[in-house]
Amino acid sequence: MKPFPVHKRTLVMLAGFLPLIALFVYVAVRSGALAPVPVTVARVESRPIAPALFGIGTVEARYTYRIGPTFTGRVKHLEVDVGDRVEAGQILGAMDPIDLAERIRAQEAAVQRAAAQVNEARARHDYALAQARRYQQLLEARTTSEEIVLTKENEQQAAEAGLNAARGEAARVRAELAALVAQRKNLDLVAPAAGLVTARHADPGVTIVAGQAVIELIDPAHLWVNVRFDQINARGLTADLPARIVLRSQGVEPRNGRIMRVEPLADAVTEETLAKAVFDALPEPLPPIGELAEVTVDLPPLAAGPVIPNAAIQRVDGRLGVWRLSDGDLGFTPVTLGVADLDGQVQVRDGLEVDDEISVYSARVLHSRSRVRVVEQLTGVKP
Amino acid sequence: MISLAGRDIMHSLGKFVFTGMGLGLLIGITLSMAGIYRGLVDDGKALLDNSGADLWVVQQDTLGPYAESSSIYDDVWRSIRGLPGVARAANATYFTMQVRQGERDVRAMVAGIAAGAPGTPGWPPYLVAGRQITRGHYEAVADIATGFELGDRLRIRRNLYTVVGLTRRMVSSGGDPMVFIPLKDAQEAQFLKDNDAIRQQRQRTAENPAFNRPQVPGLLEAVIASQSTNPYVNAVLVQIEPGHEAEEVAQAIRRWKRLTVHTRSQMEEILVGKMIATSARQIFMFLVILSLVSAAIVAFIIYTLTLGKIREIAVLKLIGTRNRTIVGLIMQQAVVLGAIGFMVGKITATLVMAPIFPKYVLLQPLDSVIGFGAVMVICLLASIVAIRAALKVDPAEAIGG
Amino acid sequence: MDGRGIRIEGLKKRYGRGDTAVDALKGVDMEVGQGEVVGLVGPSGSGKSTLLKCLGAVIEPTAGRMILGDETIYDDGWKVADLRALRRDRIGFIFQAPYLIPFLDVTDNVALLPMLAGRPNPEARRMAIELLAALEVEHRARAMPSQLSGGEQQRVAIARGLVNRPPVILADEPTAPLDSERALAVIRILNDMARQFETAIIVVTHDEKIIPTFKRIYHIRDGVTYEEAGEGRDIA
Repeated sequence: MKPFPVHKRTLVMLAGFLPLIALFVYVAVRSGALAPVPVTVARVESRPIAPALFGIGTVEARYTYRIGPTFTGRVKHLEVDVGDRVEAGQILGAMDPIDLAERIRAQEAAVQRAAAQVNEARARHDYALAQARRYQQLLEARTTSEEIVLTKENEQQAAEAGLNAARGEAARVRAELAALVAQRKNLDLVAPAAGLVTARHADPGVTIVAGQAVIELIDPAHLWVNVRFDQINARGLTADLPARIVLRSQGVEPRNGRIMRVEPLADAVTEETLAKAVFDALPEPLPPIGELAEVTVDLPPLAAGPVIPNAAIQRVDGRLGVWRLSDGDLGFTPVTLGVADLDGQVQVRDGLEVDDEISVYSARVLHSRSRVRVVEQLTGVKP
Repeated sequence: MISLAGRDIMHSLGKFVFTGMGLGLLIGITLSMAGIYRGLVDDGKALLDNSGADLWVVQQDTLGPYAESSSIYDDVWRSIRGLPGVARAANATYFTMQVRQGERDVRAMVAGIAAGAPGTPGWPPYLVAGRQITRGHYEAVADIATGFELGDRLRIRRNLYTVVGLTRRMVSSGGDPMVFIPLKDAQEAQFLKDNDAIRQQRQRTAENPAFNRPQVPGLLEAVIASQSTNPYVNAVLVQIEPGHEAEEVAQAIRRWKRLTVHTRSQMEEILVGKMIATSARQIFMFLVILSLVSAAIVAFIIYTLTLGKIREIAVLKLIGTRNRTIVGLIMQQAVVLGAIGFMVGKITATLVMAPIFPKYVLLQPLDSVIGFGAVMVICLLASIVAIRAALKVDPAEAIGG
Repeated sequence: MDGRGIRIEGLKKRYGRGDTAVDALKGVDMEVGQGEVVGLVGPSGSGKSTLLKCLGAVIEPTAGRMILGDETIYDDGWKVADLRALRRDRIGFIFQAPYLIPFLDVTDNVALLPMLAGRPNPEARRMAIELLAALEVEHRARAMPSQLSGGEQQRVAIARGLVNRPPVILADEPTAPLDSERALAVIRILNDMARQFETAIIVVTHDEKIIPTFKRIYHIRDGVTYEEAGEGRDIA
C-alpha cells in the first residue's frame, strides 16, 4: 500500500485552499466595521506654552491730510502729483480766484467812499459843535433866546451820531476787504505737514465744493496696521505686545513690530476686536496703503503644564474631551482646556495628568466600544 | 461513505479553483457594486455626521445648505444661540469648487467653519494628521482624498491657504472631498467677485449720478464699501442641550425666527431620499442586473460541470447509487464553487476594488453575510437545472443499450 | 440451486401499448448456475439489449419470472420496490469499457459499492483490497484510474462487479476492444472468478475470439432464446 498519492493531493488542496481561507479571514476581520480602528497615541506632556494671537489687517497711515479749498471754486493749477514728497508749508496748488480781484477792487472803492462819508460827517459835526458853542456864549451875554441854544445843541448831537455811523460803516467795509484779501491767500493749497501725496482727486478746471479734498497727503513716517482679531481668539490682547507682521506682497518673511493700542471700540457687526500694530522699522520701499497684512501677536509664555495637541480634542455627547487609553482600553475623558498656541498645542487645566496616553489621530470616529490598534502613522498619510 | 463531491473537486482542483476565481471576480464586482451603493448613502450620512450638528437653520423655504442654496445673515446665530435648548450655534458656509494647488486642481467642497475651538459645530470631528485650524485666516484642513499634504499651499479664489491638518471620510453628499477653511475667508471666497467684476461694478456705481454727487463728498465711497461687504452665511449649525428635543427647539426657531430648520432625520431624508436617490437607484439596478447575470453564469458553470460527468453519473446510477447521493454530489460542488467564488470575490472587493475605485466603497459585514447567503441560494438554485439533467440520465446508457 | 445463480422463465417484454406495441422479448428462458460462465449471443435487433436491461434490473419485464439465487425477483408483473438496491446488492456489472469513476482511486472505485450499500468505509475498503488481491492488481490500490494500463483497468472493473458478491454478473461485451490474447485472458479471469466467488456470469458478446470458450451459449433471435452447447475450449 502506498498512501503517498492521496497525501500529495491533500497537500495540494491545503496549499491551494489554506492561503485563500486565511486571506479571506484576514479580509473579513481586518477590514470594514469589524476591524479595529487604527489610532496614533501621544502622551500628555508638561511644557511651557507660548500662546499667540493671529489677525489680519490693512496697512494704513496714522495721519492722513485731506487738503481742499474752503469755498466752492475751480482748481486753477496743481503743483504735485501722487507719490511726491512735500514739505510742511509747501504750496501744492491753487484755486482759480475767478472774480475775486474785481470784488476786492469794488470793496476798496467802497472803503474810500466810506472814508469820504466819515469826512463829510466829521465836517458837519465840527460845524454843529462850533455853532453850539457860539450860541452858548450869546446866551450868557443874554443876546439870544434859550430856545435857539437848545436847537443848536440838538443839531450838534445829531452830527456826532452821523459821524459815528459813518465810522462804523467804514470799519465794516474795511473788514470785508480784509476778508476778501484773506480769501485770496486761501486760494493756495498748502501742505500742513511734511508727507507723501497719496491721491489727487481733481485736476485743474474741475469745480470743487467746499470741504471736498483735492489732494490727499499721508505721513509716511507713521504707518500702522489696522488689525482685526476675532473676538473669540483675542484673549490677552493688550498694547505693547510684540507682533510679527507679514505683508501680503512679502510672502512669509515676517517683520517685527508691536501692538500700539487696542481700540476701545470693537466691531460689533463682524465680531472682531480692532488694534493698531506698528512696525519697529518701516519697510523700504513703503508698502502700499491698504495692503493686506497678517499679524501674529506673541503673548507672554505660560509656565509648564499638561499640554495636548488640539487634534486630540473631540466633542462627545456635548462635552469636550479626549479619548484616553489605559491598558489598551478606550475611554472618553472630559477635559477643561486652557490657552492654546498657534501650533495647535492646548493647555489642559483639568481632566488629564502628565504622561496619560491619549489618542491623537484615528482613521474613523471613535466610540467607547471601538477596538483600536495603535500605529505609528495612519495609512495614506505621507510622513 | 466517502464524499464523491469532495473527491471530484480534489481530482480536478485546478479547474475548480480557476472556475471559482472567475466566478469570484464576478461576485467581487457584484459585492463592490453593493459597496458603491452603500458608499453613496454613507457619503450623505458622513456629511451630516461630520458637521456635528443637531439642527440646520437655513433660509426660509429652502432645503439648504447642501441640497439647495441658502443664505442668511451672519448675525442670525446670535439670536438663535439665545433660545432655550440651544447649546451651541455656529455659522457655516459650503460651496463646491475647484481648489488649486500648484499645477493641479481638485474638485472639493469648501466648508467655512466658525472661529472657535475643536468641537464647534462644523469643525472636522477627527483628524488623521496635522492639527486643527488655530489661526482665524488662511489655514486649511483638507480631506486626505484630495491628495493634498501637510504644508501644501492651496489657492481658493485669490488667497493662499496652508494645509495644517488632514481628515478622512469628510466628503460632500456627492463624494467630493472637503476642505475646511475659516468662516471669514470662506464668506469672502464664496461671494467674492473676480477683480474685473469688482472694478466694473465700481465704475458702474461711480457713473451713477445718484451715488456720485459732488455736493455729498464720501457718498460714493460709502456705497462701494457697502457693495463689497458680505454679511451672509449658508446655514447655522445648532447643537442641542442634553434633555431637549430637537424637534421642539426646531419648532421654536421656525416660529420665532421665521427660518427653515431641518433636523437630522429631515436632512437625511433630503440627502439620501432626494439628492442621491437617482444615482443610488441606478447603482441598485446595476446590482440587481449583476446578481442576475452572476446567477445565470453560476447555473451555466454547474450545468457544464455536470454534463462533463454524465457518463460517470450513468455508471453510478447503474451500480445502484441513490438519487440523493447524486444530488448531493452536484449540490455540494455548487456550494463549494460558490464558497470559493465568494471568498475570492470578497477578497477582490476588499483588497482590489475598494482601494482603486474612485468612489467610496463601503463593504459592510452584514452585506457580506447577505451576499454569502445569496451566493449559496443562487448556487443551489442554479444546480437544480444540472440536477434535473443528471436525474434524467438513463442508467442503461452505461450498458450497451 | 443453492442460493446463487440465476434462472428466468418465460420472460416477456412489451414496449408501448395497443396497435403500436412491440414485443421485444417473447418468452426467454435461461438458467445459469454458480461458477458457470455462459455466453449470450445475438444480432442487433434481436432483443439482446432488452434482455440485458431486464437481467440488469434497469427495466422491469412485462411478464415471466426471474429468480436470483433462491429469491424470486419478478413473477408475472410484480413491481420491484427498489431496482437500484437490487442492482447494487444482487447484480454485478462489467462493461465494454472499464467505466471507472475517474476521481476515485482504485480502492474506492471498488469499495464504492459496499459503501453505497451502507457498509463502513474500512470494511468496504477491506473487501475491495481482498478482491484486488484476487485479481492481482493490489499493488495499484492507491492509483487513480487514469494511471492504470487498459488491462489493469479491466481487472479493477471486474473487481467492482464482484465486490458485493452478487449471485449474477452481467458482462457486456467485456472483450470488444481487446486483442485475442488479452480477450482470452479476461475470459480466463471471469472463469476463475465465477468459481472462486460462486457466481453466475453471463457474457453478452459477439466476439468470435471468445465464443468457443463457453460451455453453454444462449442465442437470442426475435425475442426468443435458444440454448446450445459450446465448444468449451480449454483456455487455461
